Amino acid sequence: MADLNQLYDAILNGDHKTAVTVTRQALTEGTAPIELITNYMSPAMDEVGRRFECEEYFVPELLLSGRAMKAALALLQPLLAASGAEPAGRIVIGTVKGDLHDIGKNLVASMLEGGGFEVHDLGADVAPEKFVGAVREHKPDLVCLSALLTVTMPGMRDVVEALKMAGLRDQVRVMVGGAPVTAEFANEIGADGYAENAGVAVTVARRLTRKNHAMDEAKG
Amino acid sequence: MSTGPYNQARQAVRDALAHRKPSHVPIDFGSTAVTGIHVSVVAALREYYGLEIRPVKICEPYQMLGLIEDDLAKAINIDTKAVFTPKTIFGFPLENWKPWQMPDGLEVLVPGDFNTTVDSNGDFLIYPQGDTSVPASGRMPKGGYFFDAIVRQPPINEEQLNWEDNTEEFQPISNQDLLAMRVAVDQASTTGRALVLSLPNMYLGDIALVPAPFLKHPKGIRDIAEWYMSLRARPDYIHKIFERETAVALTNLEKIHAAIGNNVEAVFTCGTDFGTQTSSFCSVQTFRTLWLPYYKAMNDWIHQHTTWRVLKHSCGAVEKFIDSFIEAGFDILNPVQCSATGMDPKLLKAKYGDRITFWGGGVDTQKTLPFGTPQEVHDQVLHRCEIFSRQGGFVFTTIHNVQARTPLKNFVALLDAVREFNGATNGRPEPTL
Ligand code: B12
Repeated sequence: MADLNQLYDAILNGDHKTAVTVTRQALTEGTAPIELITNYMSPAMDEVGRRFECEEYFVPELLLSGRAMKAALALLQPLLAASGAEPAGRIVIGTVKGDLHDIGKNLVASMLEGGGFEVHDLGADVAPEKFVGAVREHKPDLVCLSALLTVTMPGMRDVVEALKMAGLRDQVRVMVGGAPVTAEFANEIGADGYAENAGVAVTVARRLTRKNHAMDEAKG
Repeated sequence: MSTGPYNQARQAVRDALAHRKPSHVPIDFGSTAVTGIHVSVVAALREYYGLEIRPVKICEPYQMLGLIEDDLAKAINIDTKAVFTPKTIFGFPLENWKPWQMPDGLEVLVPGDFNTTVDSNGDFLIYPQGDTSVPASGRMPKGGYFFDAIVRQPPINEEQLNWEDNTEEFQPISNQDLLAMRVAVDQASTTGRALVLSLPNMYLGDIALVPAPFLKHPKGIRDIAEWYMSLRARPDYIHKIFERETAVALTNLEKIHAAIGNNVEAVFTCGTDFGTQTSSFCSVQTFRTLWLPYYKAMNDWIHQHTTWRVLKHSCGAVEKFIDSFIEAGFDILNPVQCSATGMDPKLLKAKYGDRITFWGGGVDTQKTLPFGTPQEVHDQVLHRCEIFSRQGGFVFTTIHNVQARTPLKNFVALLDAVREFNGATNGRPEPTL
């Protein structure tokens, strides 16, 4: 029998090889993918986020855990797709136009994946039209924007406006973040959410994508 | 040349670095690649101060910083003078100037080997050592203001990883480069300003240089995420690289010192960022085991053999690291990002002000300078000068490079505020234009 606590530990310790071995074994033994995610992988990533917030973990550890989680998840994805299981939500994420800082965005993306979201990462220096195109293609619940430069922060407003112009704004929520971004700024540009770090981003994303909530509920 | 306020410039920086009260708070713009001004702002300043209108030279082609020539330096009271590394981040020297046009139409001058092509996206691509026959190593997005490194990381084969692949850039300095440095130092000395010499390859893992935009075919770990993971997952590999980098640096330091002597006030050796907005890239403990011994070896050599002061650049929330930076032998901290967690100016000055020089912190560049009013800029600059300048240990500059699109009136308000502060304390004369 696969010791599933090893999966939790492997993700927490950023050991992608063990994460893959244990997941593979668990699958051959017939463990349901969803059980692996909910009981082991997501809790491990939650713990990673907690350690990051209290400065026990730093960027390297987060990247390693994210990689371990993704490697295990890659084995589960075909099975999940085949079974028609729905992710916690669909997300499109990217760093806005003109900005090439992507370390923070990558951490947020992998924490969201760890939190059970389906994440489409558009990379860095992403123009508003590309976000619009990706929203049409992937029909996400949430669009996540990252900016690290004050010169590129206005690009977040451009994305919100482009979504409006394309008639898509009321079909998605928008969450923003990155070093210079504040909750105040998020409000000002008409975004629906803000998070100051990757751990909190998952909590806010869960709140913003809660399925039963009508999209026209009060913003916040 | 060294008339008027200028005869005080070099001395003011020397005093500030020695933690003696200088005749005035010295100002730096343009002495390093982390205290520069974007070319568009340099062009605007030239116009504002009524200087000859001519295309500005790009002295740092990655961030597209504009060269601050002596006429502008004089107009805005700059006390420092740059001596750049012999080669830029894209591996070519600053020579054979030719015209180039920024995406917004601004005409500038770039080095002869600054060769670009335009891709299908409309982005500019730039090439290592100017060689357009190899893959591009930098990209300026369409409508952008600066380049970013293109990661050219071949897939990693764990079994075949060889740390020496990551050390191709650490080579003995050539006689040609030594000569160029010597000529540059001699020329810069005539300005009467304090010289800041940028030294190559002593940084230990600066994330901007990990992709090696200057190498034609970089090998080893050249991807940013992979590098960060390696700090944790492959510490032995990293130690080997740092050992080699340090060994080469020590022999180069000896040659450089033999060539230029004690003719520079400060050297800029390391821009490796340890801070983020609210935290850091590693723990202080990791810094102490993975970096400190190597930095210390280089800085100890410098202190034992030269009068140079060593400048450490690290953005972000690094308050907890400052004691270790000092222990590693750094004399100067830049950019003193006061907007990051724990970087309160008063606390920094009280706790570390007599042991390290703050070279930066002059104004917040995340909010105040780009978005504030001229009055807000003015007030903050005066306030920061008051806090940081007591008993020397302070060179005024903004927190990191002055970015494109910085409102000119705000930058002028900043300069006027420093002038006001200096005038108020010692009656330093207005510059003669
Ligand atoms: C590392 C770094 C770089 C690297 C980037 C490598 C890369 N591929 O990303 C390099 C060296 C290349 C670089 C270059 C530049 N940089 Co830089 N860089 C930094 C630095 C030191 C850390 C950023 C970082 O990666 N942090 C680590 C991550 C984990 O944190 P984070 O990004 O903040 O993300 C967290 C949260 O913000 C949040 N988050 C992030 N995105 C999102 C998105 C959503 C939706 C949510 C909910 C949350 C969220 O969660 C993340 C994890 O907790 C900062 C300093 C700082 N104070 O932040 C400067 C900084 C951002 N850089 C700055 C500048 C100016 C530049 C340059 C323009 C060069 C220059 N100095 O002139 C270039 C241009 C780069 C470009 N072309 O875009 C300035 C910006 C100042 C300003 N006025 O805006 C800063 C603040 C430095 C300073 N002291 O002034 N940089």
